[in-house]
Amino acid sequence: MSQSPPRVVLAKVGLDGHDRGIKVVARALRDAGLHVIYAGLWQTPEAVVRVVADEDAGWLGLSLLSGAHMTLVPRVLDLLRDAGLGHVGVLVGGIIPEDDIPPLMTLGVARVFGPGTSLDDIVAFVKEPREAAHG
Amino acid sequence: MADLSVDTLLERLPKKDRHALARLLSFAAQGEHLPEILRALPPPAKPCRVVAFTGSGGVGKSSLVGRLIPVIRKAGSTVAVLACDPQSSVSGGALLGDRFRMGSAIDDGVFIRSLAAPGGHGAVAEHVDVMVRLLETFGFDVVLLETVGAGQGDVAVRDLADAVVLLLQPEAGDDIQWDKAGILELADVVVVHKADLPTAEQTAAQVRSALDLSMRTHTTPVLRVSSARSQGHAELWQTLAALPLRRVEAPPAAALLRWTQAWLTRRAATAEWQALAATWRALPEAELRRRLLALLGAGHE
Repeated sequence: MSQSPPRVVLAKVGLDGHDRGIKVVARALRDAGLHVIYAGLWQTPEAVVRVVADEDAGWLGLSLLSGAHMTLVPRVLDLLRDAGLGHVGVLVGGIIPEDDIPPLMTLGVARVFGPGTSLDDIVAFVKEPREAAHG
Repeated sequence: MADLSVDTLLERLPKKDRHALARLLSFAAQGEHLPEILRALPPPAKPCRVVAFTGSGGVGKSSLVGRLIPVIRKAGSTVAVLACDPQSSVSGGALLGDRFRMGSAIDDGVFIRSLAAPGGHGAVAEHVDVMVRLLETFGFDVVLLETVGAGQGDVAVRDLADAVVLLLQPEAGDDIQWDKAGILELADVVVVHKADLPTAEQTAAQVRSALDLSMRTHTTPVLRVSSARSQGHAELWQTLAALPLRRVEAPPAAALLRWTQAWLTRRAATAEWQALAATWRALPEAELRRRLLALLGAGHE
């Protein structure tokens, strides 16, 4: 694996239009040395996976505030696997009830960051070396 | 998906394997496997048209490119975009936010790759020339190259593209700063963007006057385009599509030369080289020659 900075796609899936939080995370990741591809708001799961594939990103950060996480996240995970992108680390952020965290993790989400997560936590997690590398 | 060798990826590339394209573009962007890629890259079935978009930050390059994509698709061509944003020289990080403005419809005829351009390296990311060749071999008809937008003309961009589009925005006064910098000469087409603003016509007239002053630029078209109002993009594409494909058909050797230069620079930074550089004057000719060849790994006397 090269020493190039990790590439992370940040996207908001579903009908949620609040983007302040995701922009704060984007800047924190950039300041930590990552290459952040901002895919934007109101994305469909299919569109997000297409971005991850074409950008050859190692990480996907999904931000969801709309409560639709238990349908949208599994859909994204399935599409990633179908596209041969099962190695991509998926992070979920936003308003996620505690009870939903374990099922999300079981589905394959690498980490769920609820509201109030420190930016340092997110940065530290993404910068940890992972065995599931490709390249 | 198992890791595939560069040769396998290159075999799959002209067969429109999008995954292979994505991986190869990453290798090129990171400067990895360049000699293998350049040696084994199949020639393209047909040349692609490369158009570079340059202009100061905030002039609207991403928005314009975003509006151009559907125009190009409607004309029946496939299009790839290499969108460059600046890389922080402090953290090495980058916020690659250009594709955000380019729409997110899923279309196999469109491919967007976001790139970070290191500071001081000019207007585009490294190895863009290799990436263009990969996209061309995959089969894209058009490659749009969006520069970082330093605002200064970058001669290297001219070599990478068949056409350079300079974007300007309407100015409040009549201070034609861009003319002083001499960047008008590098443009094949000048676009006065944000043409919905009131001073657009005046700016276009000023640009026209400036271009008319020189034999080299008096035939350069000036077009007014408003991405906010979706006006002028079809005319812009018509103009660009009519231009000749003038991109220097750089043979693989040209890119290999650049790679070799970079390799030599890295080699020269090693301790052995430094030691030799400090003592070579005291060495007999034969000894100097022997040590040089050893360092170069030539393996012969």
